Amino acid sequence: MRKQPENPLREARQGDEAAFLLLFDEHHPPLFRFAWRLTGSMSDAEDIVQECFLALLKPGCSFDPARSSMRTYLFGAVRNQALKRLQRQEQSLAAEPILFRTPEAELLRDEAARAVASAIAALPETQREVLLLAHYEQLALAEIAQITQLEIGAVKSRLQRARVTLREVLAAWAPQLEGSK
Amino acid sequence: MNDTELDQLLDSWEAPPPPSTLRSGLRARFPRSERRRLSPRLGWALAFAAASCTVVFGLAQVNTKPVESHFTELFNHVYEHVTGVMASWEASDLVTRIRESRPKVYFDGQLGPALRFDRAKVVDVDVPGEGRYSFTSVNPKREGWTEAGHIHDKTIQFRAGRKLVRIECASTIFDSDRPVFVKHRTGVE
Repeated sequence: MRKQPENPLREARQGDEAAFLLLFDEHHPPLFRFAWRLTGSMSDAEDIVQECFLALLKPGCSFDPARSSMRTYLFGAVRNQALKRLQRQEQSLAAEPILFRTPEAELLRDEAARAVASAIAALPETQREVLLLAHYEQLALAEIAQITQLEIGAVKSRLQRARVTLREVLAAWAPQLEGSK
Repeated sequence: MNDTELDQLLDSWEAPPPPSTLRSGLRARFPRSERRRLSPRLGWALAFAAASCTVVFGLAQVNTKPVESHFTELFNHVYEHVTGVMASWEASDLVTRIRESRPKVYFDGQLGPALRFDRAKVVDVDVPGEGRYSFTSVNPKREGWTEAGHIHDKTIQFRAGRKLVRIECASTIFDSDRPVFVKHRTGVE
């Protein structure tokens, strides 16, 4: 059996594909979810995650394990790439949120999901990314602050504002969802 | 709506699992060391040079021909072989660079199917209505290859039958203008 590499990133940079895939397998699922929720596109999310991992191998890569964890760095990289892409394409999630559930028995739940996707897409950019990282990826406020380059206080207030907005926008859905259980 | 109800509602928006192409695509783009590819070839070139030297000295012992002419022949052989190895390496390097630059292919301005990277030294493209073509920027100096376009910066453009093929890459392939040599792969439509 292959020995677990001591420093997978260093070995990946030396051309060890297995070490590189080890890093990828460890980190990619939450990064993909985050990229997908930010962009609303499977292909964009796929491309962004690949770019972020490949960027780790480049000589000019700014990842410094003394400053942040690999996970925090990668979330930050995904965020930057997604924002760049969204600015370039001027896309809006609100226009057509993507859902992957089959709308039959859970039609109501799907409609609720669509409403949630639209409501989140309509949030200001900084509130949206904070909410996605806090609620969907369950990251600590300190880690979100590092990723978004904000103070913890600012993260907390943006998260609160996002939740207040969503509570108002989605108020009509609460009793319906309760009834569908 | 309380916090728990909001959380429950937010959870109804589920993300899809990552597609399998995410991993396979990343593997395809993993930069493999070019040095490893070059080394065996240089090894062969050196082995060839050493063998040629042995033959020349052998001939010089039994032949009346002046030893200088043997050295000229040897030099020509080695020169041809080394330039062949370098051209081969350059062609492989071009394939790698195109593959890693996320190329998009347009036929007469219309987005078309992706390039094929099945060969080490040339890139294949399926041209709608014209069949499969191979291209490279290193002159293969073989029958069937013609100069049909050029590469400059991030754009590769050439003619394949009646179609104008334009390939837009995400990164620079060559800073200066380079020719494109094209061959129609007959029998593949």
